[in-house]
Order: sequence, then C-alpha cells, then structure tokens
Amino acid sequence: MSTTPVIDVEQLNLTYGGFHAVKDLSFQVRRGELYALLGTNGAGKTSTLEIVEGHRTATSGSVRVFGQSPRDRDAVRPRMGIMLQESGFSPDLTVQESVRLIGKLTQRTDNVARVLDIVDLTRKAGTKVSQLSGGEKRRLDFATAVYGTPELIFLDEPTTGLDIQSRDDLWDVVDKLREDGSTIVLTTHYLEEAQQRTDRIGLMHQGTFHREGTVSELTQTLPAAIRFALPATTPALPLRAARESDGTYLIETFGLQRDLHTLLRWAQDHAVELQSLQAGPTRLDDVFRAVGSEQLSTS
Amino acid sequence: MLSIAVSELIQIFRNRLVLVTSLVMPVAVSAFFIYQHESFAALGSLGYIAAMVMFTVGAFGLYTTTVTTLASRRQNLFLKRLRSTAAGDAGILAGLILPATVLALIQVAIILTVLAVVTGRPADVLLLTAAVLATVIMMIGLGLATAGLTNSPEHAQVTTLPVSLGVVAVASWVGISGTEELTLLKRLLPGGSATELVVNAWNGGVAVTDSLILLAPTLSWVVVAVALATRLFRWEPRR
Repeated sequence: MSTTPVIDVEQLNLTYGGFHAVKDLSFQVRRGELYALLGTNGAGKTSTLEIVEGHRTATSGSVRVFGQSPRDRDAVRPRMGIMLQESGFSPDLTVQESVRLIGKLTQRTDNVARVLDIVDLTRKAGTKVSQLSGGEKRRLDFATAVYGTPELIFLDEPTTGLDIQSRDDLWDVVDKLREDGSTIVLTTHYLEEAQQRTDRIGLMHQGTFHREGTVSELTQTLPAAIRFALPATTPALPLRAARESDGTYLIETFGLQRDLHTLLRWAQDHAVELQSLQAGPTRLDDVFRAVGSEQLSTS
Repeated sequence: MLSIAVSELIQIFRNRLVLVTSLVMPVAVSAFFIYQHESFAALGSLGYIAAMVMFTVGAFGLYTTTVTTLASRRQNLFLKRLRSTAAGDAGILAGLILPATVLALIQVAIILTVLAVVTGRPADVLLLTAAVLATVIMMIGLGLATAGLTNSPEHAQVTTLPVSLGVVAVASWVGISGTEELTLLKRLLPGGSATELVVNAWNGGVAVTDSLILLAPTLSWVVVAVALATRLFRWEPRR
C-alpha cells in the first residue's frame, strides 16, 4: 500500500447557523486504503464527507483530493465515484438509462451491461427507477459509483437497506476494486462491517475525531472482558473481578490469554464450573460506546 | 450537457402531466386564438395574436416546465447526483433546460407559421425572430429565479402563477391597448416591450431601429432574473 495521500484534510471546520458541525479535523487517506469515518448520529461524518467530495465548502481549513481542490470537478471527479446516502435518481428513467447517463457524465469508460451485472441488476435494466425497491436503488447507486473503476470511491452507508446476500455481494465487489488499486472511503452504522473490512478508522463525535487508527489500535485502548457466573460457594478468585448487578463476574484485562488461562486453571484445580463463560477481545462497538460515555462524563 | 438534455427529453415524454402542461395546453390555446383570429384581430391586431400565442407557450410551455423540472430534480436529489459527476453547473442547467426550450421554440415556430398561412405573413420576420428569442431567454431567466423559491413540483403550481399569469396579462393589455398611454410603465413591465416588438414585427409600419430599442427592457429582465437566480437558486433541498 502506498503512503501517498489520496485525501489530505487539514484543520477542517464547518459552521452553519451558529452550529459547529466539524471542528479542526485533520486526517489523511492513503492510496489503496479502506478508510472508515464512523460516529454517532450528527457526529459530522456526512458533512465531512460532503466537503471532501466537493459538494460543500468548508468554513476554514484545507482539503486536497489527488492534490487538487475537490471543488475542481473537471480535475477530480473523473477519478472518483460517489455513492450518496440517498438515492437521487430520476424516477422516470430506467436503470440502464440512469447508469448510462451518470456513467457518461463521470467521463470514465465502462460497459453498462457489465456494471449492471456486478450489482445483479441485469434483469431490472429496463425497469423505471420508481419501480425499484429500496435495496435495488442502493445497488443502482453503487453501480454508478463503481462505473469505470474509479481510483477513489466514496461509499456513504452503502449497505443500509440491503439484505445479507446483497451486502456480501457488494463487499465482494469492493474487495475486487481494492485488488485493482481503488481507495475506498466508507461511512456505515454497521460496526461489524467496519471491524472486518477497514484498514483505518476515524471515530467522530461532536464534529471531531475522538480516536483514529487501525481496528487493533482502537480496540487496544480498552480492556477485553471475561464474564462468568459461579456456584454459591467457591474459593477466592485468582484475579480481581467485579460483581455485576445480575450476579455475574466481570474481569477486565489487557492480557486476555494470560488471565483466561489463569482463571481456567484455577477452575480446574478447584473443580469449579464457570457458568455462562464468555471471553473475547474488545470490539469496535465497545470503543464506540466508550467514546459516547467519555463525552457524557466530560460534558 | 447533451446527454442530460436527452435524458430530460425522455422524461418529458414519459411524464403525462408535464406533457399536457408543456405541449398540449399551449397548442390548444394557440389553436383557439388562430381559429378565432378575426375576433381577436378586431380586438387588437394580428400582431396581438402572435404575441399572445408566443407568451402562452413561453409562460406555460417553457417557464412553468423549467420551474417544475428544476424543483422536481432538486427535490429527488437528481441535481446533487448530477453534481457528483464531472459535469459543470452551467452544463447541468443547460442540459436540463434545453429540451423545454427547443420544444417551446418549435411550438412557437409552428404556431406562428400556421398563423401566417391563415392570415398572411408578418411584415418583418427577422424582427419577429429577435422578439421570440429575447422572450424565450427572459422566460428561462425568470424560470431559474422562480425555481430558487420553489421547494417542490407541487409548490411550483403556486409559485409560477404570478409570472405566468402576469406576462400573459401584460401581453394582453399592451396588445389590445397599445403603448400610446402609460408608455414607460407598459414597456418596463415583464413582457410589455416584447409584446410591442412582436406587434410591430407582425403588423409593420414602425422603423426597425425604433423597434429594436424595445429589446433593451426585455434583456434587462434577463439580467434581473439571472441576478435573482444567482442569489436564490439552490442545488439541494433545504435541510
């Protein structure tokens, strides 16, 4: 993966109507990377994305895409595909006509039939957009974003409204695009997808980053958890554990394997059954919740 | 621009409501004017009939369609979609407006040709052409400005009424009563000087240089409308 930034954002600010939507945001997206902007509702993800896409003007700060201003559509847009959060297609045009029109306007070359095939809309080629389901509209949106295999693709909540099969198919296409060298910028509410797919994540809250890094870097900031229940009478635990309101025990640890081993050996030595035992690494949604609660405790 | 225009033309012919308001209605009204040309000529002149059919097509065929189209494309985020591509703003607007403009010009040309065949040719075809083109540009400018104030196609049914009824009323007033009285007011109203220009071009009897001056107020309305559109026009719905 190249370290050349495809997107370079410095000290970005956006205010409107007295509301500070984006605050001093700086980040870079490198060539070939899958970078996710995640955050709570109203965190400023879409505003940031719209500025980087060139749909909005920042109040202050600098944004460069391929070293150019994203407002310079002639220079930048032929190299980028955009999947909007909402559909934006004309209801009276057919699927094929919509892809052909938007594809032509991107100034990239591709085959409409090929693009429809990869999003499984070939059978709907002659159907008017007004007659498509929500999921089919999302796939049409995705088709226009990947038309001509652009170098940079923005996916704003791409899998919202898609069934599991369609989601998997979409991610297969994204994987193929990445193999071909495309850079992907993603926003999603599905943290599991982000955890599995992304190289790096910018976790936004109230207009700015609260964490940025790889999934591993983000999850390492919080301890992993071991949960279990115990019979009424047991010897003293070998590790410090907190008693939860439901009677279960919780061990928070930065050394999951070591402490789990200690606990299991203790249980075996004392013939104690660890009921409802659960142990696992910190997940992205734990980090997500922690960011929210940090903010609550500081506000 | 051309690919946007082609897709827009497809949409016009697929949308029955737009088809009726932009094509059928203006033609029907114009046909009535031509059929009753003796009565209307007695009321004003043949030039008055020419002005009325031009403004009927300009107001209901071109202006209303322009406002409705832009409001509709903005409401369903089609404008934002188009701006997600490499197309420039001017090209997008031109592509969206071009089909309605070409259709309006074809309609006016056919209707005025039929009027000429029925009643006799106009005195100055070139002057008439200049008047039609100036009027079309003015109606497009007013359409862009009105689109800035229009949230949806349904809202367009209200926001287009003042201008569309206004220019037809002014054309009727000027065409019937002439401009001997209240000259300045009549010429400064939108459509006033364009009506006088059409009347002069069709009926003849006025020096071309005197008539050409009448283009100035019409083109001034274009400047006003474009200035308003620059301030008012939005590419995305209000959040």
